[in-house]
Amino acid sequence: MSSAPIDYDKTKSFLIDTTKCTGCRGCQVACKQWNQLKAEKTHFFSGEGYQNPPAMTEHTFTRIKFRDYQKHGQNEFAFYKEMCMHCNEPACASVCPVGAFRKTAEGPVVYDSKRCIGCRFCMMACPFGIPKYEWSKAFPLVRKCTGCYSRIKEGLQPACATACPTAITYGNRADMLKEAERRLKNRPERYFPAIYGKEEAGGTSILYLTHQPLDELGFKPVTKRPLPSYTWQALRLVPGIFLGVGGTLSAISWFQQRKERIRREEEFKNSVVKPEQKEEGQ
Amino acid sequence: MTAAQLVINEIKGYHRFLKFMIFLVVLGALASLVRFIFGLGATTNLNDTYPWGLWISFDVVTSVPLAAGAFTIGVVAHVFHIKKLEPLVRPAIVTGFLGYSLVCVGLLLDLGQPQRGINVLRYWNVHSPMFEVSMCVMAYTTVLTLEFLHPVAEKFGWHLPLRLLRTLELPFAILAAMISTLHQSTLGTFFLIAVDKLHNLWYNPLLPLQFWLSAIFTGLSIVVFEASLVHKYMGQPDESELLATLTKIIPWVMAVYMAVKAYALVFLSHGPLFDRPVLLALFLAEVLLGVVAPFCIFLTKRIRSDKRLQLRAASLVVFGLILNRFNVSMFGMEQAGQQVYVPSLIESLVTLGIIAAHILFFVLVAKYFPIFEHHPEVTDYRIPDGFRRIEGHGHKAAGEAVH
Amino acid sequence: MTNHWIDLKNSDAIFIIGCNPAENHPISFKWIEAAMDNGAKLIVVDPRYTRSASKADIYAQIRPGTDIAFLGGMINYALQNNLIHQEYVREYTNAAFIIGEKYDFQDGLFCSFDDQEKSYDLKSWAYETDATGTPKRDMSLKHPRCVFQLLKKHYSRYDADKVCAITGTRKEDYLKVAQAFCSTGRPDRAGTLLYAMGITQSTHGTQNVRATALLQTLLGNIGIAGGGVNALRGESNVQGSTDYGLLFHMLPCYLKSPEFHHVDLKAYNEKWTPTTTETKSANWWGNTPKYITSMLKAWYGEHATAANDFCYSYLPKRMGNYSYSKIMERMLKGGLEGLVCMGMNPAMGGPDSGKAREALGKLKWLVTVDLWETETSIFWKRPGVNPKDIQTEVFMLPAASSVEKEGSISNSGRWTQWRYRAVEPMGDAKSDLWIIDQFFKRVRTLYGKEKGALPEPLTRLTWNYGNGHEPDVHLVAKEINGYFTKDTTIVDKDKTLEFKAGDQVPMFKYLQADGSTVSGCWIYCGSYTKEGNQMARRDASDPTGLGLHPKWSWCWPVNRRIIYNRASVKPAGEPFNPKRPIIAWDAAEQKWKGDVPDGPWPPMKDDKEGKFPFIMLPEGHARLYALDLKDGPFPEHYEPMESPTRNLLSSVQNNPAVSVPNNVSSDLAKFPFIGTTYRMTEHWQTGGMTRSLPWLVELVPDMFVEISETLAKQKGIRKGDKVKVVTERGAIEAVALVTARLKPFNVGGTLVEQVGMPWHFGYAGLATGDSGNMLTASVGCANTNIPEFKAFLCNIEKGGSKA
Ligand SMILES: Nc1nc2c(c(=O)[nH]1)N[C@H]1C(S)=C(S)[C@@H](COP(=O)(O)OP(=O)(O)OC[C@H]3O[C@@H](n4cnc5c(=O)[nH]c(N)nc54)[C@H](O)[C@@H]3O)O[C@H]1N2
Ligand SMILES: Nc1nc2c(c(=O)[nH]1)N[C@H]1C(S)=C(S)[C@@H](COP(=O)(O)OP(=O)(O)OC[C@H]3O[C@@H](n4cnc5c(=O)[nH]c(N)nc54)[C@H](O)[C@@H]3O)O[C@H]1N2
Ligand code: SF4
Ligand code: SF4
Ligand code: SF4
Ligand code: SF4
Ligand code: SF4
Ligand SMILES: [Mo]
Repeated sequence: MSSAPIDYDKTKSFLIDTTKCTGCRGCQVACKQWNQLKAEKTHFFSGEGYQNPPAMTEHTFTRIKFRDYQKHGQNEFAFYKEMCMHCNEPACASVCPVGAFRKTAEGPVVYDSKRCIGCRFCMMACPFGIPKYEWSKAFPLVRKCTGCYSRIKEGLQPACATACPTAITYGNRADMLKEAERRLKNRPERYFPAIYGKEEAGGTSILYLTHQPLDELGFKPVTKRPLPSYTWQALRLVPGIFLGVGGTLSAISWFQQRKERIRREEEFKNSVVKPEQKEEGQ
Repeated sequence: MTAAQLVINEIKGYHRFLKFMIFLVVLGALASLVRFIFGLGATTNLNDTYPWGLWISFDVVTSVPLAAGAFTIGVVAHVFHIKKLEPLVRPAIVTGFLGYSLVCVGLLLDLGQPQRGINVLRYWNVHSPMFEVSMCVMAYTTVLTLEFLHPVAEKFGWHLPLRLLRTLELPFAILAAMISTLHQSTLGTFFLIAVDKLHNLWYNPLLPLQFWLSAIFTGLSIVVFEASLVHKYMGQPDESELLATLTKIIPWVMAVYMAVKAYALVFLSHGPLFDRPVLLALFLAEVLLGVVAPFCIFLTKRIRSDKRLQLRAASLVVFGLILNRFNVSMFGMEQAGQQVYVPSLIESLVTLGIIAAHILFFVLVAKYFPIFEHHPEVTDYRIPDGFRRIEGHGHKAAGEAVH
Repeated sequence: MTNHWIDLKNSDAIFIIGCNPAENHPISFKWIEAAMDNGAKLIVVDPRYTRSASKADIYAQIRPGTDIAFLGGMINYALQNNLIHQEYVREYTNAAFIIGEKYDFQDGLFCSFDDQEKSYDLKSWAYETDATGTPKRDMSLKHPRCVFQLLKKHYSRYDADKVCAITGTRKEDYLKVAQAFCSTGRPDRAGTLLYAMGITQSTHGTQNVRATALLQTLLGNIGIAGGGVNALRGESNVQGSTDYGLLFHMLPCYLKSPEFHHVDLKAYNEKWTPTTTETKSANWWGNTPKYITSMLKAWYGEHATAANDFCYSYLPKRMGNYSYSKIMERMLKGGLEGLVCMGMNPAMGGPDSGKAREALGKLKWLVTVDLWETETSIFWKRPGVNPKDIQTEVFMLPAASSVEKEGSISNSGRWTQWRYRAVEPMGDAKSDLWIIDQFFKRVRTLYGKEKGALPEPLTRLTWNYGNGHEPDVHLVAKEINGYFTKDTTIVDKDKTLEFKAGDQVPMFKYLQADGSTVSGCWIYCGSYTKEGNQMARRDASDPTGLGLHPKWSWCWPVNRRIIYNRASVKPAGEPFNPKRPIIAWDAAEQKWKGDVPDGPWPPMKDDKEGKFPFIMLPEGHARLYALDLKDGPFPEHYEPMESPTRNLLSSVQNNPAVSVPNNVSSDLAKFPFIGTTYRMTEHWQTGGMTRSLPWLVELVPDMFVEISETLAKQKGIRKGDKVKVVTERGAIEAVALVTARLKPFNVGGTLVEQVGMPWHFGYAGLATGDSGNMLTASVGCANTNIPEFKAFLCNIEKGGSKA
């Protein structure tokens, strides 16, 4: 993890307005193209609507989820883009033993594949189930959305955001939040009153607006606390415990030895000498 | 006779059980080879929804507390200076040493990039529980290796190292306890990141403490368990007298554990506890069978010195711990409605091989090294002692090696 | 489009009927969303709940082929509730025009129908004129034979109950649509109407479009910002192709292609140059002689002289119908020797593909110029045929894709944008221009060597596109724009303009009928001028704030972004809606401000020079009542050729001007369900360009059909099951997608199920599957011949294997 504090307001963020998402999946294809990811072999559809592929994988960094259902006799046909949330305080980065993941000051959470030992702790830790493993390889690495770090370093927008005709707005997190709030206020009837990602996992660089209630779309309810704090509350005690245990045990040991010595000295003074002790005492 | 023939002849003389263990180990080794050739995806049932499976749940998360006998008995014997328990120390250290070595093997198999394991030393991330555990496991394995050198040095009569090691016995015991406290509890910390994933029956901020406490009473129970088995099957002397001392300590730790667990469950859990019947059953099995039942047994004075019941209670504790670690690392992590993960043949073979290797090496070590013949009372190992007083011990062994 | 994509953002109500822009024109939603952010209402009328529908404020289901009933009902609603834009209708449409006494409409038929010929005598529908030949008008709109009264009477039959019985729409949904959209009949509100294939692909497709135009005209929505009748065009440059004469009855730029009896240029001009006695009518087509002459000069250059009618005689004269279906019919009968398919895939794209594939086998030779191996280029080894039985010799020429060559692309909004070559063509691929160039040069050489009958139309073509390996596309563009052939002086109002021979013509009003100008396509005159290539402009400035971006690329005509914009102002020139003034007359400066107006003349009210706004029509007024369509002056509801019901509105079942082919069947016992075909975002057309791209195949890998939950239950079909769909023409296999987005239609009380499917699959490429067009009927619109792809009858059964 980088040491310099990051101003999250200034990190580049996605405002994904699912009420404007047409499910065109331009983003999905643009991502594959930019990252040169293999197409998945699919059959028919593997989800509601036209959803494909069945899951995000080492070859799929982003995907449009389809919901196709009836509510009060009305059709609901909804689409939303799944991708790495680029958490402000990423769980993946905090658990990685070798610090292969890192939150950049620009926003994206990036991955240094050369460090990775492939332990998959990041996959366990990510509250959104984002990092994927190269299961097809003998010596696998982890893969996930890069936030198109290489593009934004050059002043471009991420490939998916560039391809998107409607739903993605990209910019500083503070501005995106302001825009999201403006939209909520401007058309309250269109929006479910929440900005997913504003506080989830302690805040993320991906912000969602939806029409349908979040749970209906399958957005996971996630803790509002930054995840690393959950482990850190225990880990921060490590030095203390380490020294504490050492100190205590040393003290006990010293005390016990002393007790023992005193006992023996007492015994030595007060009683007959035992053979072994005699042998030893010579 | 070539060395190979020697080995083969030797093996031919082994008990059927040992041969079977060897077979399992070889099978396990082949299975791990397959894993490296075809990759994790093809050979295991792991996938993006189940990135951690049997190897982590058993080979790491469970094996580590099962190998906790070494540090607990070390503390009891050396730190608390209950000298009479020292005969139990060495077998426990061997078990610990084997346990941790195999944890390392398991971990390497499970890593995507085992050749880069060393990166943990190059790139530090102190925020990572995994980093902490890795460092600890490395450190502790080193300590255990050194401790394990005792019987080895004894056998080969390496005087100086032996003396050094003997002198370090106490510091090592303390160091072992320090390191173990950290990583035993940190294994619990692993799952603190799994907010909203690990079921509330297990998820609470005191998980590390619970892991640590359960490692302690399980470590002691393992000593009981092992000594009983060794007595039963390897013709070693009946140590149940000594073990009774341990069984006096165990329920205390269990009591604290239960108190912490109950407190955490009642006051520190968020969200529903009883929404998943299967998980609830697993939880109850873990707590009632694995903790409450042995606790009651150990608490009853008459029973706790009964050799048979000692073993039974210890077995229950071991069972309880295994179930607890699986509950936390596997069952409790399964989300409702997900396809259930079942380990693949290769995974199972590897884990079986690791268990078999443990047993096999233990028996072999016991066979070839003096691990049950430790009588510290008769020797003074303080340094410097002028090399005078060791004649009666180890010299012969050393002589043997020289010839 | 009368308007353009960005203009959608100026709308207060967006009416999507018969198109699915979220899926087929995704970028449109950028502007639709912008409008909605400003409070616009989105209305979608479609048989299916589409991705567009999912964004709508109001969705109404409609049975395929019944849009005239729906729109006619809305027209009625607007008239009954007086929601029309009174002033606009009175002043700018032919509402006040009085129709001749012969006009009549009885039980589904207009007057003077010839049952034998299946045609009307269009003259019987004419305006009543005064002695000078000027149409009579009644500005009070009260005359019983004025268009307004006839219109009112015609659509009074389309009451809500009748409409909903026909269309199957829930009445409350229907009324919501009518109410929401007709609310834009006020001057301060704008409503835009978007349509495409759901409207056009019908035996009454042209009348469907007319119905949309009628509604928009009544609401005063044409010519204004945020309004318009907007056809969302298809193929990426199909607008350009149409502009350049894609259709068999058109020469470039909507000049009519000559018929056999237009024996010379004079006859042609007489036929196609409308006249008017109205002084206020600009009657722009009155310029036809200038445009045809300039075009002929572009084609035959030096050879084209006044003496030889500018080589008019070289033009092929048409005699009958050369529409796609007719060509296929002839081909099937062995009437064609060879076929060049340049960027099209007839084994897939046309109706009744089974027949089309058979027809290809009757050719001696076939040339395909394509990016991919298509179903057409491998038709001889398609499943189920023995290649040995097919004698056709097939040549496949690899074409460079759009990013591998330079040139212009015209979008639906008529914006012509120049694009550059991004990469070199792959392998042996060549640009279409190079291929045509070589074609021409080699054929010309052959004519030179081997002579032949009438070689001149070819050998005398001018062909000056440089000497490079690749023809110079800039020279082509310059010729299309046009230039002067000799030094010319033009007096334009108070200005005198001097041009040198070779100068680019700045705009089409300077084109001449005497051979002194060349212009390949008059509406593009102004696209490549002295100032350079206007199509390559990339200045995004937007002085009006209405998204006109006048310096971004170039748009025909004369960079006018919204056509008929003279109808956006009151007769005196002030905008109907001062909040969104597309043009406004500045009385002080005596000139228009804003967009390029539809002609420079002062407002209509100006007695001397004022002009009517609809300058392309000789009467200068928008036609609520059409004079020149084959199937009636007012759109009238008829059932599709294959329909589950009798016509509830009249006893005339189908469009009387279309003859019924033999392989259609409305036998509900055999074919109880309504079939329809459509596109989806993930694939393109016949699939040549998308079914071989793994990333797109990943998204939609298989041919599928969508059915309702009720039909699935009835047939015991579950999602993912193989099914067979059958029509009178053929059978296909597909995977079933069961969804609540498709629902049965209520047809006069009974529920009729629908079977929807994409038509993107075929036997070539990476992902293959059966073609929807094995099922469709080869029958088309009375006016355009566009096939009825959207409504047919079928059956569906569980289980795979084709018939
Ligand atoms: N992704 C993608 N985009 C495309 C194309 C493509 O193949 N793929 N093709 C391009 C081309 S060439 C064209 S022409 C355009 C066509 O664009 P669209 O016209 O949008 O295409 P379709 O999907 O054929 O038909 C539109 C809708 O009409 C509905 N419909 C069917 N029958 C009726 C009816 O009777 N009345 C009404 N109101 N609606 C009806 C269908 O359910 C469908 O949703 O798209 C262009 N854009
Ligand atoms: N059932 C049903 N059938 C329909 C329709 C429907 O809605 N339903 N829609 C109809 C409509 S609107 C249309 S437009 C037609 C389309 O029918 P087609 O035009 O036959 O179909 P496309 O697949 O667009 O064919 C275009 C071909 O051009 C190739 N191509 C692309 N770029 C270039 C280039 O630069 N140069 C050359 N030489 N080739 C190129 C592509 O690879 C592709 O094979 O289909 C019609 N058919
Ligand atoms: S979503 Fe997951 S992978 Fe992405 S930054 Fe957050 S924790 Fe890391
Ligand atoms: S798999 Fe790699 S990136 Fe993930 S936690 Fe382990 S070392 Fe870090
Ligand atoms: S930001 Fe880049 S890597 Fe991430 S989903 Fe978008 S295109 Fe893919
Ligand atoms: S590109 Fe934009 S509109 Fe299209 S699916 Fe992706 S997020 Fe939705
Ligand atoms: S032409 Fe391209 S950019 Fe435009 S809407 Fe279609 S797919 Fe999108
Ligand atoms: Mo089209």
